[in-house]
Amino acid sequence: MSSHPRSRSSRMLTHLVLIVLAVIVLVPYAWLIVASLKTKEDFFSGMFFPPGDGFLGVAWSSLTLDNYTNLIEKGFGRAAINSVFYASASAIFATFICAATGYALAKSKFRGRTLMTLVVLGSLIVPPTLLIAPSYELLFDLGLLDSVWGLLLPTFAPAFGVFLFRQAVQQSVPDELIEAARIDGCSESGIFMVIVLPLIRPMIGAFLLITFLGMWNNFISPQIVLQTASKQPLSVAIAQLRGVYKTDYGLLMAATVVSVTPVAVLFLVLQKQFISGLTSGAVKG
Amino acid sequence: MKDAFMLPLLSLRHLSIGVWIILGLLILSSVYLLGVDDAKSEDLQMWVFSPEHKQMYEPKIAELNARSGSDADTESRKDIELTLLSIAAIQSRMTSGFFGGLPTADMIEVERSTVGKVFMGPPESIGFRDITDRLKDEGLYDQINGPSLSPWSVNGRVYGLPHDVHPVMLAYRADLTEAAGIDLTQATTWEKFFELLAPLMSDEDGNGRPDHYPLSMWVTQQDNIELLMLQGDGQLFDADGRPTINSDRNAELLAEIVSWCIGDEPLVTDIDEFSAAGHQARVDGEAIAYLCPDWMCSIWKMHVPLIDGKMKLMPLPAFEEGGRRTSVRGGTMLGFPKESDEYEQAWETAVQLYTSPEIARELYQMVDIVSPIRSLWDDPVYDEPDPFFMDQAKGRMFIELAPDIPLRTSSPYNYSAVLNVRDAAVNILDWSTNGGGIDDEALLAKTKEELDKAQRAIERQMSRNAFIEVVAP
Repeated sequence: MSSHPRSRSSRMLTHLVLIVLAVIVLVPYAWLIVASLKTKEDFFSGMFFPPGDGFLGVAWSSLTLDNYTNLIEKGFGRAAINSVFYASASAIFATFICAATGYALAKSKFRGRTLMTLVVLGSLIVPPTLLIAPSYELLFDLGLLDSVWGLLLPTFAPAFGVFLFRQAVQQSVPDELIEAARIDGCSESGIFMVIVLPLIRPMIGAFLLITFLGMWNNFISPQIVLQTASKQPLSVAIAQLRGVYKTDYGLLMAATVVSVTPVAVLFLVLQKQFISGLTSGAVKG
Repeated sequence: MKDAFMLPLLSLRHLSIGVWIILGLLILSSVYLLGVDDAKSEDLQMWVFSPEHKQMYEPKIAELNARSGSDADTESRKDIELTLLSIAAIQSRMTSGFFGGLPTADMIEVERSTVGKVFMGPPESIGFRDITDRLKDEGLYDQINGPSLSPWSVNGRVYGLPHDVHPVMLAYRADLTEAAGIDLTQATTWEKFFELLAPLMSDEDGNGRPDHYPLSMWVTQQDNIELLMLQGDGQLFDADGRPTINSDRNAELLAEIVSWCIGDEPLVTDIDEFSAAGHQARVDGEAIAYLCPDWMCSIWKMHVPLIDGKMKLMPLPAFEEGGRRTSVRGGTMLGFPKESDEYEQAWETAVQLYTSPEIARELYQMVDIVSPIRSLWDDPVYDEPDPFFMDQAKGRMFIELAPDIPLRTSSPYNYSAVLNVRDAAVNILDWSTNGGGIDDEALLAKTKEELDKAQRAIERQMSRNAFIEVVAP
């Protein structure tokens, strides 16, 4: 059965608009990748590709992977691994801790629960910038400056995550299910692990990605907390590529490609859960 | 007991592919990082922020490292490790180190925009060593261009070896002035300068704007405003570090500078100094002249090659006849953190690097920067003709102006003060455009009013610092 010509043309129009939008979004990335393959001399020679005598008037032979080789020589491999470690550790631990705390605040009955929820909620209105100085002093007092723990510990229980999971548990986990599990003799940790976690799976995916991206892009905290060069993540290492008198833009673009690619891949893998996590509860069933 | 193992395993079934990927990344990166040896380097550490400086120092440092341990004198010497960091990274690591008791380097190159943070507290809390006596004992004090010590000095004590002078000249499109039969070297004052270039402001292309503006400068360019005020002996702080933003001299200077920007036909135009659009405007000749510190020459050579051979340099026109013909912009020092245990070796290394004729020569050849060591100024490299500037002996011209650069404050509040003065200039322009007019007296009165505001703002800011006494003038 053929579709109605009007609906087909409207679908084509929609696709056309989407293609145009996709081009607008993807052109800067394409430019970034091409720029990362250019030499210093070629960088400003052409808007996109370096002009030359090759196919389509492009000097294909002058495109090079030298910028990427230089990045490795400058110790960017270590910075990339540091970033992977900080982002994944922060994402895994923050997700687990926030989910557990959110569950406790949503479903457990204990004295001070309302007060604790209000404190969590209240801390959301404090701008993070305001916490930089007191956090630094606290880390100094604890002897955690220039340590991995000094960077990671403050990211393990963000108030935003706790509140997000509290709401997710309240909406997605019926009290009857938990009571039935208790009657069947399941322990509290068992209820959390086997019943609650699967029910809030979309939120786990979304929060995991949010936390991973947040830590991956985090510039201020590592810049302030970490001192030793070998502990710095990619975000700080890239910022250090900007020169005073001149900047090697090709190298900067290569570093940006290295920085953007892993998170783009991760988003593509997790996008379904990310979107369903963000929209869960948006429409009441 | 069985539950304790089984329940987590049961819950693992529900984890998505994304969680597994991130978990995998965590395990792999942890294994790698656990296997890496992060033992603290035992070498003498030197931090620099400029790739060019690093490139220049490397051969000398390799030579020093090769010599260390070769005889009894050098047996206890450590190898020197040169690390390149961004200005922001140096600032955060240096201040974290000084205020948080964390290790820093044995030698740190610090840019002027960053050094104020170090001078924020009382002199005894400054993280760098006072090198005044050592400079004098070793005869270096007299070898260094005098005014170049001022940004690194507090209460007459010096806390860093100056790396440069950074005198400022006027760079202009000689191809355009010569084609118009204008001899710009006759412009001994700013007034004469604008008079001489007035014929080039005609609108031949009929686009409603002058074809060429005499000067690239605008009220939003705080560095150029500071540079011009310094040229005219304007000072935002006195010798004791107290703010003097609303002094009569500052008001006169700022009123004159802003007067260039106001009216139906401003004499200056706003061309960005570092963007592609600004470079294109330079190629198009939108402005005839530019305020040009020595370091700017290398930036133009790299980013605006199309003006190669079209530019010339000359001393800045003065504010009054017989007045100062130069100014200063930017600067770097080398400091020695107090916490370093290797001061002796660090000092010897620094002196070798900063007084080396080879490095000074390379500094000029690579980035057009003149060394502050006066005994090195005889080097013929400074007399070489520069084709970019129509074969002028640019280095010699900068050196002739070097002793006359104005003194600068080391106040940690200087940058805030400069921003406040810029805001004052913007407000004056806004006032003039919206009915305030262009009358000289009214302009001066408005300038004083705006500088009073800026003075109060800085006094308020400084009053929060328990270590600084603020006395209103």
